Amino acid sequence: MRIVIAEDLALLRDGLERLLRDNGFDVVAAVGDADALVHAVLRERPDLAIVDIRLPPSFRDEGLRAALELRTTAPETAVLIVSQYVEHTYATELLAQAGGGGVGYLLKDRIMDVDDFVDAVRRVASGGTALDPEVVSQLLGRGGREPLAGLTPREREVLALMAEGRSNAGIAEALVLTVGAVEKHVAGIFQKLRLPPSESDHRRVLAVLAYLGGG
Amino acid sequence: MSLNPYANLVRARTYRTLLFLAAAVPVGALALGVLIAGWTAGPLLAITPLVVPVLLAFRMAVGLVARTDAGLARGLLGVDPRVSVNSGGRGFWGRGKAVLADPAFWKQQAYLLLRMTLGFATAVGELALIGGSVFWILEPILYRWTDQNIGSWHIDTLGRAFVVFPGGLLGLAVALALVRPLGRLWAWLAEALLDETPSRAADARRAQAGRRRALIAHAGVAAAAGAVVVAVWAATGAGYFWPEWVLLPFALTLGSHAWVELVAAQPNVLARLRLSRAPAIHAGLSAALVGALTGVWAVTSRGYFWPEWPALVLGLGVAAHAVIRLAPRAEARLRRLGLSVAFGIHAGVWASIFVFETLVWALTSRGHFWPGWALLGSVVVLAIHVLVERGAGRERLARRVETLETSRAGAVEEQDAERRRIERDLHDGAQARLVALGMSLGMAEQKFRTDPEGARRLLAEARTGVAEALGELRDLARGVYPPVLSDRGLGAALDSLADRSPLETTVDVELDERPAPQVEAAAYFVAAEALANAAKHSGARRVSISVGRAAGGLTVEVTDDGRGGADPAGSGLAGLRRRVEALDGNLSVTSPPGGPTTVRAELPCES
Repeated sequence: MRIVIAEDLALLRDGLERLLRDNGFDVVAAVGDADALVHAVLRERPDLAIVDIRLPPSFRDEGLRAALELRTTAPETAVLIVSQYVEHTYATELLAQAGGGGVGYLLKDRIMDVDDFVDAVRRVASGGTALDPEVVSQLLGRGGREPLAGLTPREREVLALMAEGRSNAGIAEALVLTVGAVEKHVAGIFQKLRLPPSESDHRRVLAVLAYLGGG
Repeated sequence: MSLNPYANLVRARTYRTLLFLAAAVPVGALALGVLIAGWTAGPLLAITPLVVPVLLAFRMAVGLVARTDAGLARGLLGVDPRVSVNSGGRGFWGRGKAVLADPAFWKQQAYLLLRMTLGFATAVGELALIGGSVFWILEPILYRWTDQNIGSWHIDTLGRAFVVFPGGLLGLAVALALVRPLGRLWAWLAEALLDETPSRAADARRAQAGRRRALIAHAGVAAAAGAVVVAVWAATGAGYFWPEWVLLPFALTLGSHAWVELVAAQPNVLARLRLSRAPAIHAGLSAALVGALTGVWAVTSRGYFWPEWPALVLGLGVAAHAVIRLAPRAEARLRRLGLSVAFGIHAGVWASIFVFETLVWALTSRGHFWPGWALLGSVVVLAIHVLVERGAGRERLARRVETLETSRAGAVEEQDAERRRIERDLHDGAQARLVALGMSLGMAEQKFRTDPEGARRLLAEARTGVAEALGELRDLARGVYPPVLSDRGLGAALDSLADRSPLETTVDVELDERPAPQVEAAAYFVAAEALANAAKHSGARRVSISVGRAAGGLTVEVTDDGRGGADPAGSGLAGLRRRVEALDGNLSVTSPPGGPTTVRAELPCES
């Protein structure tokens, strides 16, 4: 799987590159700013670009802007945004642009849990979604939504993992349940929230996020 | 708002309002004519079909007079009532019925009735009060030449003249204090009785095309009527050329109309000539009037050139108007000389008066140069003006310096407190965690060969420690400056704040453009601190944050439904107050026992 990295801090860029190589990914370019990212992606046409939100020269949200631009100029390249902080505003912008999936937004902290991170990288590169648990908890934590109160604690856990973009198998693994049990919970949630059932994991994320007011 | 009524003397709005009040005289006279004609002709013809055209004409006349007055209200009072002149309806009788059923028609008549009764009375009363007061104020100068008496008491010495002087000051104060309420009353009446809002949507271009058509129609009608009159004159023996008396007013009205239309429709021409619209219209109309009077002089005796007098008076009005309009433009130049716009207007008006008096002197006897005395007087008055202004300026400056010293000291103190807090958080939090992490890693290294299972446990512990340290650093960084605030502005930052709050928080931000970064940051931290306080101390369940613009500034208001009783001098609120005051804003906290608590900050944002 071919990957381009855009991260301005050399320490993190090299560490991430090594981590990905060790896990069998092919890092075809590692760059330090948004312009170089766009050039590298248009030249290499990789499967995935991992982009830091904050890049030179103004250290604001250049990375996100470049990523949004790439979604239209190079739609076959999936985009995984990594950042020191998460805001649901950015997640909303990213998902609104994503269309058919292949986007992710994670805290850099998640890289430490290497297996999970590698899983998220694979998921996004193959057209899925990966949304940081912190974004999801921001959205779930908003007050004033009656139907959410009707969910059981287990269903809330399943809902959060669903919003993160995980598949039923992934949810079953994380919660130590059988896939069948997860499917039952999912059906229960969709019924209680009156959401239309959807086939792909990405569509499911969009439906859940739209419900939570984040998509 | 100043409580000093004399401050109204230097406000253009005062003169605009007075002008509107005075306009009640001509408008009232016009309205009287129209109403009498309509009310007589209408009932008289009520049994004939002729009543419909008369009614329609009456409707239009009432509408046009009302519209004229609405135009005055727009220019002078700043309200913009849209007046309809047409009641609609279909067919001959239908249109007549529509007029009678049109509430706008009756409201316009009511307004005109008020304007010619109440309006006339206020105009006369207010202007007489001002005139009388000014006369009494000038009495110490004028008593030699006038013979004023109150009852049997003659004002014929300087001492007695000074007795009435304070009465004059008081009268002037009352008259000036009345100007604003009267202006508001008439603005309200005009809006309430004249405004027909549905047509507000009519777009400007259509209005302009309509005005141009109106001008062409006016010119056509005037030319046709003039031709008819001349034809009648020619047909009746062509003696004395009496049509000149018809043609002159035609020319005057058409010229005035054309000038107003030109000025209104061609703002570029005015901009190139660096003229403002109102003085240009004023000057043009004055010139047209002088032209018409000169015409009258030319077709009559052609003896003594009397139009010079109205020309002089009108010229004085135009000069004063121009001075009032031009002085604010010269503000920078005046300020370099240490003078204010008010002084510029004052001096300019005196200069115009002096020129006027000199011309009057030149046109009359040319004996003793009496305008010299007026010049002397005005120089004294202007000198006093400068002295008073300098004094007031110095005092204002001293007060400002005092405020700035306090707020700067507060801001520095606040910054130091903030730095100490950050240092403490770093020291107790992330730094301590990294030390512990280093220890875990060291021990893991030691155990690596002998106890691989123990080493793995230590490494897992270390990873948890890193995650916690990162979380703490992130919170700290957000507390110093939330990145989303600079990236996406106040709305997104407050949304994010609301998401993280344990309370049910609503955010309502109404801003047309982003304020300056320091204002945004202050607004954000006011909301953040108030929200944190609400969560910590108030026992509230719901909080609402609203941000909006008011009076050239930005306001932030945070209200919770908690138990109230917050201490405005508490450290968090005091810190906020210093932050807000450093930006020249102010912070108010109302928190009665039992709630609710409202924290409100007003932040000026100069552009």
